[in-house]
Amino acid sequence: MRETILNFGPQHLGMVGNFSITLSVDGDKVIKAIASPGYLHRGFEKLMENRTWAQNFPLVCRINVIEPDSMEMVYAMGVEKLGKIEVPERAQFIRSIYLELARVASHLFGAWAYANMLGFDTVAQWAMYHRDLILDLFEELTGARVYHIYINPGGVRRDFPKGFKEKIIKTLHTIGGCIPDYNDTFFDNRIFYKRAQNVGKLSRESALLYGAVGQVIRAVGIPYDIRKVEPYAAYDKVDFGIPVRDGGDALSRILIVRDEMIESVHMIFKLLDMMPEGEVWNRPPNPFKWNIPQGEAYVRVESARGELGLYMVSNGTDKPYRVHFRTPSFNHGLYILEKVLEGENIADVGNIMMSLYVVAPEIDR
Amino acid sequence: MNKKLIDEIITTFKNTKCQMIENKRLIINTKKDIIHPLLKYLKDKEFTRLALISCVDWINDNEFEIIYILTSYLLEHEKSEINVIVKTRIARDKPQIKSIIPIFENAEFYEREICEMFGVHFEGHPRLISLFLEIKYDIPPFRKDFILREFCENTFDKIPPVGDEK
Repeated sequence: MRETILNFGPQHLGMVGNFSITLSVDGDKVIKAIASPGYLHRGFEKLMENRTWAQNFPLVCRINVIEPDSMEMVYAMGVEKLGKIEVPERAQFIRSIYLELARVASHLFGAWAYANMLGFDTVAQWAMYHRDLILDLFEELTGARVYHIYINPGGVRRDFPKGFKEKIIKTLHTIGGCIPDYNDTFFDNRIFYKRAQNVGKLSRESALLYGAVGQVIRAVGIPYDIRKVEPYAAYDKVDFGIPVRDGGDALSRILIVRDEMIESVHMIFKLLDMMPEGEVWNRPPNPFKWNIPQGEAYVRVESARGELGLYMVSNGTDKPYRVHFRTPSFNHGLYILEKVLEGENIADVGNIMMSLYVVAPEIDR
Repeated sequence: MNKKLIDEIITTFKNTKCQMIENKRLIINTKKDIIHPLLKYLKDKEFTRLALISCVDWINDNEFEIIYILTSYLLEHEKSEINVIVKTRIARDKPQIKSIIPIFENAEFYEREICEMFGVHFEGHPRLISLFLEIKYDIPPFRKDFILREFCENTFDKIPPVGDEK
């Protein structure tokens, strides 16, 4: 036996994002994996301590490139909780629709990365195209494609423009109509099954022990979802299912991503029908003179990757005293990844990393 | 049920203050040496998932506050909404606290991050090495006395502009 050190990333074909894993390998078996993040550390939490409550919104969405909207949501929820601001009901519905659209966009991006990893380039391009259609919707709604800064404390920045509801329905029909194509080429493909089945297996016991959330915990048969456990926005008013599988391997996790995408599309249709009329924004006071009372809050939402939490402390001034994001990728991408990679093939490292849905900027913050 | 839990915690552990906010957040203030038995007790009471370990620098009190946030995996249950926030304060001059890896395995990286950013030493941690940062700073960067503007002026203003190098 001869042990070799292999640096998997940040410059590696099998790596998505600026992240690195140092592997000890014997032949093509991984003996030990050491995650080494830090390539994207920008010190957001420290920067936010030096900016006012309103100035932080353009910062928080940049923490997670793929799904900035949950970040906005969790920060807005924290500010609302500390500042005791009410949110109008129509705004709650708009937030839910917007977050579900973001979830579909994020899952399509995830499907792009995963399909690309396995060499299904055609499917990857489809997913990217369909994500772009949703970004067009975001552009019309908010004026920006990726970083929207749309959710503000007290509601959302603007109401749906005229005819926007029909546009959402049309776009979702386009995407939903292509799901059979995705299934034929990718999700029901035998090559995909061979690559993903029984790879990166995590048993139920160890998933519970390691504190997994999101797809990782739902892939071992536990329907744990913050939208159900502690409903926020309008999720307590709408009926939706939580896709669960019990394989615990990469295959289960990716199929859950697909099922969630379909579930989200159905949920958006329901939410659009139920949407009440009314105000969308309870304007907070002048942001330059806005002091938030002393206190602390822990808020959490279900992002596309699992529980996203925010611990926030205010000392009564116009700036937060401390913010700390609990990102799902931090635990999945560092602790669980190291555990799962032991004993796998080198060829499956990128595959497993993407199936855990690890996003590097979220780890480093 | 929640009231019973609070009463039990107060009677079992001395010097502990409990506060329930909106039936969702249970805040427990306690002493440093009670953290281990308290977390073990909470783990037995179904709060089996460690969600976050955080740290706040209270520079005016000359103290660090370490925060452990626990939740349960229960679904549709009265405990499922509750997040337990266990807080303790440690001296800022020689910040030391026992690692909780024996109780919650996944504490490893949270503790490493706090050690790097605040300089808090976790006793009994198997690999307390740097996580994100490349160099070691004199003052750990997330402390309140690490002033960003001063650091930028000292570091980047000393780099001569292009062309002035001769």
